[in-house]
Amino acid sequence: MFRAGRRGSRAAVAAVAAGSVSLLLAACGEGAGAASGGGDWKPTKPIEYVAPANTGGGWDTLARSSARVLDKAGLVNRPMRVVNKPGAGGAIGWSYIAKHQKDPHKLFVTSPPILLVPLAGESGQTYRDFTPVARLNTEPLAYVVKADSPFKTFEDLAAKLKADPGKVSVAGGSGPGSLDHVGLAGAVQAAGADASKVKYVPFDGGGEALTSLLGGHTDVAVAGGSEVQALVRSGDVRALAVSSEKRSPILPDTPTLAESGIDYVFDIWRGVMAPKGLTEEQIAYYEKAFEKMVEHDSWKKESKKLGWTNSYLGSEEFGKFLDEQNKEYAGILTEVGLRK
Amino acid sequence: MDALNQLFHGFGVALSPQNLAFVFLGVLMGTVIGMLPGLGPISAISLMIPVAFTMDPTSAIIMLAGVYYGAIFGGSTSSILLNAPGVAGTVATSFDGYPLARKGQAGKALSVAAIASFVGGTVGVVGLMLVAPSLSALTVSFGPAEYFALMVLGLTAVVTLSGNNLTKGLISGTVGVMIALVGIDSQTSTLRFTFGRHELYEGVEFLIVALGVFALAEVFVMLLRRGQGGGDGTITSLRLSRRELKEISGPTGRGSVLGFFTGVLPGAGATVASFLSYSFEKRLAKDGKTFGKGNIKGVAAPESANNGAAVGSFVPLLTLGVPGSGTTAVLLGALLVLGVQPGPLLLDEQPDMFWGVVASMYIGNIVLLILNLPLIPLFAKVLKTPQALLLPLVVVFCVVGVYGHSFSTFDLWMLIGFGVLGFLMRANGFPAAPLILGLILGGLMEKSMRQALLISSGDLTTFVTKPISATLLALAALSLLAPLYGAWRRTRRRQGLSEDDGRGQDEQPKATVGGTQERENG
Amino acid sequence: MHHFRFSQRTVAAVLGVLAVAYTVQAYRIPEFAAVQVPVQPGTLPRGLGLLLIVLCLALFLQKPAPKTAEPSEPTERDRSVDKAGTAGTAETAGTAEATTAPARRPALGRLADARLELAVLLGAIALYVLLFEPLGFVPATALFVTGTAWYLGFGRHWVNALVGVGVAAALYLGMSEGLDVALPTGILPL
Repeated sequence: MFRAGRRGSRAAVAAVAAGSVSLLLAACGEGAGAASGGGDWKPTKPIEYVAPANTGGGWDTLARSSARVLDKAGLVNRPMRVVNKPGAGGAIGWSYIAKHQKDPHKLFVTSPPILLVPLAGESGQTYRDFTPVARLNTEPLAYVVKADSPFKTFEDLAAKLKADPGKVSVAGGSGPGSLDHVGLAGAVQAAGADASKVKYVPFDGGGEALTSLLGGHTDVAVAGGSEVQALVRSGDVRALAVSSEKRSPILPDTPTLAESGIDYVFDIWRGVMAPKGLTEEQIAYYEKAFEKMVEHDSWKKESKKLGWTNSYLGSEEFGKFLDEQNKEYAGILTEVGLRK
Repeated sequence: MDALNQLFHGFGVALSPQNLAFVFLGVLMGTVIGMLPGLGPISAISLMIPVAFTMDPTSAIIMLAGVYYGAIFGGSTSSILLNAPGVAGTVATSFDGYPLARKGQAGKALSVAAIASFVGGTVGVVGLMLVAPSLSALTVSFGPAEYFALMVLGLTAVVTLSGNNLTKGLISGTVGVMIALVGIDSQTSTLRFTFGRHELYEGVEFLIVALGVFALAEVFVMLLRRGQGGGDGTITSLRLSRRELKEISGPTGRGSVLGFFTGVLPGAGATVASFLSYSFEKRLAKDGKTFGKGNIKGVAAPESANNGAAVGSFVPLLTLGVPGSGTTAVLLGALLVLGVQPGPLLLDEQPDMFWGVVASMYIGNIVLLILNLPLIPLFAKVLKTPQALLLPLVVVFCVVGVYGHSFSTFDLWMLIGFGVLGFLMRANGFPAAPLILGLILGGLMEKSMRQALLISSGDLTTFVTKPISATLLALAALSLLAPLYGAWRRTRRRQGLSEDDGRGQDEQPKATVGGTQERENG
Repeated sequence: MHHFRFSQRTVAAVLGVLAVAYTVQAYRIPEFAAVQVPVQPGTLPRGLGLLLIVLCLALFLQKPAPKTAEPSEPTERDRSVDKAGTAGTAETAGTAEATTAPARRPALGRLADARLELAVLLGAIALYVLLFEPLGFVPATALFVTGTAWYLGFGRHWVNALVGVGVAAALYLGMSEGLDVALPTGILPL
């Protein structure tokens, strides 16, 4: 069940794709058939680029750095204006975007919560209410403990969670059923423990979660690889495992879950979506802009500093990818009992 | 001694003509943006980020840090002159600053704010320099249980801020906490009191409440006063006497230190610091009863604390790489893109950066003082605007501040609603400060309580078995019992006695309070 | 302001009804069962609702403080003087006279009844908010400032119009161009 990852499901892409073409057509406005030319439409006013999270978080950084590169490299002809719409794991930003259907001057940055939050029944919208524009990059989750923790490997942790789940508290930067929790639950479940019994403590962002770990208030923390990078390097915390398929360039010494004997892959992918009902020309305009952006030198430089791995997908492929991921997450949430 | 050498080196970095120019630019922008109601340091920093990215990392962070404490510095101006807090951290400043301005002492209030800010900032920088690395231990020593205790301690200030009718103050505070709980619950994502309105999912923005309950309500009161009773533009005194300087030295010193340590705690920040300091000084002062009616100590205390806290919030950012507030989170993002990885290794790997920033903060604070003091008479002239014109202008500033935050007219209706609420509260003797306090601390209190209980598997003793938490809770109990006892004695004494204090109660609600947003204004 | 001061019992009763309504609503917050949490999302709201009910009861039973005059409220005498002053300013004052002392401390408003006066101002603000997006920031603000200041008795009409338009335009430029905070453009082709 949990091995889905990207490996397992890649084989299914073709089938899924065939099945979801109609869905995608709905999602992408008029479909991808008649790409008569992306130059037909241009933004006529500043583009509101929504980060459905507070300033400083992953979404915010993504929005601000991509907006900067787009502006600086002249890939869009109107300025990108980053707006923060924080709250409820993203649902507030999405409902805001959903209120502006067909508005081609609004974009938002996105990542797994666009699938997870609706699956947990906590959003009025699902990913199908928006138009996928592009996937930009991926980053692993890291499972970290304080340097003096008795847990030396992820197996140690898994064993303890199997034997005595009530004794271990795990800090994460988002609410139950959201990104950090699912990334944890999936791994725990795959390791053979009962994820619904794990004490998952939600904090407002990875920073707060890591502070509580450093102070010994919680035993384990789940956070993005880039967030823990500095603390791992200084030796304050130990990363037990990363959730990506291969070792991450930002934490080269940390084993993957697979190396720890746990068959589970979870990537924090990041991308850009737009309101529903955009025309094909409008989608093409933005798709092209982002495709050029990921190849831009300054983007590559920033990505490296921020610990992101480029993994561009265009609008159509991103849509398929979302369908595939959605299925996988639905499975995990059902098992943990958070699916609504 | 090594640190001192490093600092001298840091001054070398900060005093380069180029960096001096950036400090100047940063604090200037920060001050100006901070003065506009509703626009805080986050807006200011976000605005300057594109400029920063074209610069070398040290200059960039020197400039952005300048924007941050410049905004906190500037926020006090609109709090004092218009009762419209420019920045959440300066709400408490208006408690006494605005009454002073109404008495024609706006210049004095602004001078006190400038001096207190300068001292707060400078004390903060000294703290940052001397103890930053060891302070990261303090930062992490605060877990959910400790935060809960700190918030409880903060909430006991409701009693201090209640004026003469404790029941009304408590009602006000309770309603404040109720407003804080509106929106999607962070712990379970459950909807609470949103009535199906998307606009409420995010909760009620603090500044809407503060601008409504203080600035807009004041507009209504001004109208009903028919232009009588102060704010008439006569500016009597700009200078502080020696005696006054001496008077504010205590509150300023204590406020700076308290503010710095509060700022070191992630999530607490400038707003909480300014409130703690204000209510602490109110309790401590012999003339505590005149707080809220225009006591310069009531301006010095929160102003020194919020500036101390602004500097203090650099401790977790620079030494742990963990942002303690919305503002430092933006700074962290900027640092990462600039190729600086803040964290425990920063001091060893990039000492130039660290010490350059520290030194620039000394300079920035001096620049702020030099920049602001001569401008005070000019600012104070705002009050010479005829009231018939000033009144609609204040409304416009509030509307712009709120709309510029959320781009939602729903929020503007809420602003009007809170304006009416604030007005009715004042007319009926309900103090507004406890409402704001409950709003700021209530949400944090609930969140940390639930986190702590989740960690302890529902065991309530977690709050008293942890030493920090137990100490803070004991302080809270003490600070509750002392004034309750005092209030009881006063009631006894007053029975049958004149109504002398009734006035205080009507004056009290005029105060404004400062906010969290640490979520936003950190 | 005395028009808006209600008896303590009335206030307590009205607040009490609201508190009960809040508490009922708090009890309708669903329990969160998916993951075990020691404190339910409804726990604190329920407690707060009950606390508010108790406080309202206490306020209801409390002996009201002796009534004191609103210290800063003008007496009837003051007000009639103000009124006369207003009329004078509005009708006769040219720009020259307006700079004299009485105009610098103008009495506000035109109506004798404070309640109506407040209603007028609230109405003006509501209209401003209503027109904020459709009309756009600059026209709506200029109208609101100029209109309200005129109504309240600001006699220098040219200055008034200049300030209204000037402030609106300056704020718009400062916010939209300088700070990247987009205020509604409305009818103006900005």
